[in-house]
Amino acid sequence: MRTGNHIESYPRHISLSDNPVVWFWLVALMAAMIVLPAFSGLFVLGLAIRILIAAVGAIGLNLLTGSTGQISLGQSGFLAAGCYTTGLLIADYNWPPELALPMSGIVAAALSFLVGIPSLRLKGLYLAITTLAFSFIITQFLLFAEPITHGPYGVRIEDTVLFGFDLADPTTMYYFCLGILVLVTLGVLNIMRTRVGRAFNAIRDQDIAARAMGINLTTYKLTAFAASSFIVGLAGGLMAFQFRFINVDIFSVTLAIEALAMIIVGGLGSVAGAIIGAAFIILLPEFVGDAIGLLPAGISDVLARGALEIKGLLIGLVIILTLRLEPDGLIGVWRNLKRYWSRWPLSV
Amino acid sequence: MTVLLTVENLTQRFGGLVAVDNVSLDVEEGSIFSLIGPNGAGKTTLFNLVSAIFPPSEGKIMFGERALHKAHTHQLAEFGIGRTFQNLAVFHHATVVQNLLVGLHHQLKANILTAPFFWGRPRDEEIKARRRVEEIIDFLEIEHLRDLPVGQLSYGLQKRVELGRALAIAPRLLLLDEMVSGMNAEETEDIARFILDIRDEFGITVMMVEHDMGVVMDISDRIAVLDRGQLICVGEPGEVSQNPDVINAYLGKK
Ligand SMILES: Nc1ncnc2c1ncn2[C@@H]1O[C@H](COP(=O)(O)OP(=O)(O)OP(=O)(O)O)[C@@H](O)[C@H]1O
Ligand SMILES: [Mg+2]
Repeated sequence: MRTGNHIESYPRHISLSDNPVVWFWLVALMAAMIVLPAFSGLFVLGLAIRILIAAVGAIGLNLLTGSTGQISLGQSGFLAAGCYTTGLLIADYNWPPELALPMSGIVAAALSFLVGIPSLRLKGLYLAITTLAFSFIITQFLLFAEPITHGPYGVRIEDTVLFGFDLADPTTMYYFCLGILVLVTLGVLNIMRTRVGRAFNAIRDQDIAARAMGINLTTYKLTAFAASSFIVGLAGGLMAFQFRFINVDIFSVTLAIEALAMIIVGGLGSVAGAIIGAAFIILLPEFVGDAIGLLPAGISDVLARGALEIKGLLIGLVIILTLRLEPDGLIGVWRNLKRYWSRWPLSV
Repeated sequence: MTVLLTVENLTQRFGGLVAVDNVSLDVEEGSIFSLIGPNGAGKTTLFNLVSAIFPPSEGKIMFGERALHKAHTHQLAEFGIGRTFQNLAVFHHATVVQNLLVGLHHQLKANILTAPFFWGRPRDEEIKARRRVEEIIDFLEIEHLRDLPVGQLSYGLQKRVELGRALAIAPRLLLLDEMVSGMNAEETEDIARFILDIRDEFGITVMMVEHDMGVVMDISDRIAVLDRGQLICVGEPGEVSQNPDVINAYLGKK
């Protein structure tokens, strides 16, 4: 408890949240997530799986871009590396899926040094372009190193059984992804309340002061790259089980832009924001698609043919609106609401 | 008295400009040492050299056995040197507590492999760190600001937080670059009192750059005067204020 300006318990002060209301809503949300498959059809479940995987990827990207301030357009490259690692290890090398999935994270983290080391002296736009180039190199490699990667033919994954659970079953896949998301969320929240997370933020906000406080920029930037890529690699590994037939075409630049949109819309630097942003960006085209369906047949046909362009347009629009109206994103809106209500009626 | 910091024939050039010109000086352990001089005299540059922000063009800086002219900035905290910046370098979005916690970085051990599994050693060290931060918050009398984002505080209070962050390093030497500029009389008085307490209670040696002559004359044990990169005089406040070169450097220009 807090009484005025005095602290009675330190453990409580470093807990993830000392607000019972927050815990209540978290438990309610988890309960809803757990019972979801009982009430939803295949379509909704598929959508939910996409959101869960996107959320894992967004949390990873957010650790690098939101928390450490290193802009990355390399998301597709790391997702591809993770996805192909799991896919190839299972399909060609008969690795058990239980080992292939963590390996996705490790391979992506190792690859992150390729882009992390040259990036040590780069900032902002230059870093963004370097990571984009990295992404191209990865996808080109996957396409042309046919003897290793099957090149343009793609990889089919037959063995999808982890610890006795078959991920080819949507309900099982859903719970598995939910589990991974919960673990990744807890892991990153924990990182952020230790010196490692504070070092990330310090590098983002004031790099000279960070150094004067004893933070080794090289170590922590590379750490941020590796940790972020590990998580994104895991998300890529999950995609292998989601698609079960993987192909380089999945990993376009659009994917990297979408990932950036998720963390911007959700709120840069916030783990909860990354999850909310992932849900928002995945659901947005669905809702807009439904809305278009309601329009008169002539118009909706025209719009449906340009679905991909409309999606791109929407994402761009949402990014601009967020930066313009609420740079702290949806999580910022939520914080403002919370402040408003906890002070009501004094807050008007 | 033992010498804590030795600067020997230190020179820093920026292109054709000699910002610090062959400066030598000693700072005694437990003293309050002020560095004064007109704008552009090279005071901040000297601080940047001592805190290894960049290596000097020539010369040596010794902190005990440590050669600061060859060190990396991030080693300074571990050596026991803390500093504040002339243009405030607090973490604006972070709260007061979070700002101070960053100063404890080198005293903690969590790394990327242990941090995700918080419960255990990382948690114990966080609790300890939190306690230490609370002591500094008490000392600086900012209990009521604890959980506010530093960006929301007044300029004077932000400087106070930055001082706290440097104290969190647990330094033997504290470098303060223009702490009281932009502060009102009351805030200035508070800071002067804190600096004295920092030296007297914690035994920390303080080296400060300051334009406020009232504060400088009141609390300094020794004063060094820089003018256009050159050290023109070092001595006790009484000597320095009588020195014709100093009077000339200050009054000659204005
Ligand atoms: N990184 C740098 N690159 C080039 N020139 C610099 C750099 N840092 C300082 N200078 C120059 O060196 C000279 C000394 O600057 P410095 O900041 O050390 O002065 P100062 O004594 O701290 O002045 P003030 O009282 O205005 O803070 C100035 O002419 C300044 O323009
Ligand atoms: Mg200066």
